[in-house]
Amino acid sequence: MSIALQEISDSGLVVAIARYREDALAEAYRRHAGAVFALARRVLADLTTAEEVVQEVFLRLWNQPDKFDPDRGSLRSYLLAQTHGRSVDLLRSDTSRRRREEREARRTAEAGYDLEHEVWDLTVADKVKEAVAVLPVAERRAIELAYFGGHTYREVATLLGEPEGTVKSRIRAGLQRMRSALKSSELSDTGDVAWN
Amino acid sequence: MELKHHEIEELLGVYALDAVSAEEADLVETHIRECPRCRAEVAAHREVAASLAHVGSTAPPGVWSRIAGNLEEAPPQLDMARVVSMRGRSPRRSVPLRAAAAMVAIAAAVIALLGVQVSQLNGKTDQLDVALRRQGLDQAAQSALFDESARKVDLRSEDGATFAKAVLRDNGEAYLVGNNLPKLPDDQTYQLWAVVGNRTVSIGVLGPEPGVSPFKVAGAGVSALAVTAEQSGGVVVSAKTPVVRGLLPVV
Repeated sequence: MSIALQEISDSGLVVAIARYREDALAEAYRRHAGAVFALARRVLADLTTAEEVVQEVFLRLWNQPDKFDPDRGSLRSYLLAQTHGRSVDLLRSDTSRRRREEREARRTAEAGYDLEHEVWDLTVADKVKEAVAVLPVAERRAIELAYFGGHTYREVATLLGEPEGTVKSRIRAGLQRMRSALKSSELSDTGDVAWN
Repeated sequence: MELKHHEIEELLGVYALDAVSAEEADLVETHIRECPRCRAEVAAHREVAASLAHVGSTAPPGVWSRIAGNLEEAPPQLDMARVVSMRGRSPRRSVPLRAAAAMVAIAAAVIALLGVQVSQLNGKTDQLDVALRRQGLDQAAQSALFDESARKVDLRSEDGATFAKAVLRDNGEAYLVGNNLPKLPDDQTYQLWAVVGNRTVSIGVLGPEPGVSPFKVAGAGVSALAVTAEQSGGVVVSAKTPVVRGLLPVV
């Protein structure tokens, strides 16, 4: 009995990957590498490093498929959490941070670049945009700076001139608010929806 | 530093966005291992964060070929199988199992090393289709047990009180019937090992409550089987005394 890989769920793909099915990894790559790459590029603002992160994330899935626990979320959110974590690690290393800041400063000077504005424009799903729109500005800005800017909440607090506790609360409340909005639009399970 | 539950809760959102210090991340990770509610909240936050990613983007050209070029090589000389479960893929390399050293010695004396492939076809913890397949597995194992040409192995504990049965058909199909193995705590798992020549190789992680576990053995090089109780996810090298073990009949 053989089922086309294109027809099986993400969780099924990971089972096949755990059995050393390279074609299953290729299918997971086809479904999610675009989002992985986009997030890494967005956080790192560096094409080459973002590609390296993509490579790392999928090799890690190949080498340690057991790290993915379907009970704890979709494959997509797992891969993106891996991507974000690795990107932030790189970003927080001195060299990468300096390069990124120089690049951002140059772009800002050259084209009036607005990182946060670009970030939200790139968010493609309309229902996600709607969910983002329900956020109060203060929550949205805190999430933007933390998630896409790769800042710690302490850095976000400094940037926004807010107490650290307030930033923590806003980020948590904002994520919960978005979750509710996405649920109500039946988009809360992004994992197995997005690749179809 | 130790934080109270409500202090950890306040960190869950920023933790999910990797916006905490390394020390705070450690605290949260330690906490959510034990707290399902907080673990679920982190998972929910990460789903939301994932929804923010640019779903329409395409993968960069050339990266896949670099990934494919870096995938692990196929299993070495013995061509030992990939042994996997959703909880922990066993290593491909064959490893010494100290506890089974005596069995190794016997096996090495008797068995010539032939090309052997051992592959576990179904991870015990495959959460997708185990339930659906369970009935079919039982029937398949029963059918194998009635196959006169199949090799049957009784695996027993030293005191004989605990036992399991394995059956290996000529076509490579094999089953471990482990219904009588006592249930382990959830953070432990049974692990199946094969002795091949002078090596002991992990066949698979069976979970804490194994029923019928299928695997595949092609070739005649397997001389013995053993089952150990390990920490969840399995181990590379076991230092445990096998819960049960048994020698295969010589072909």
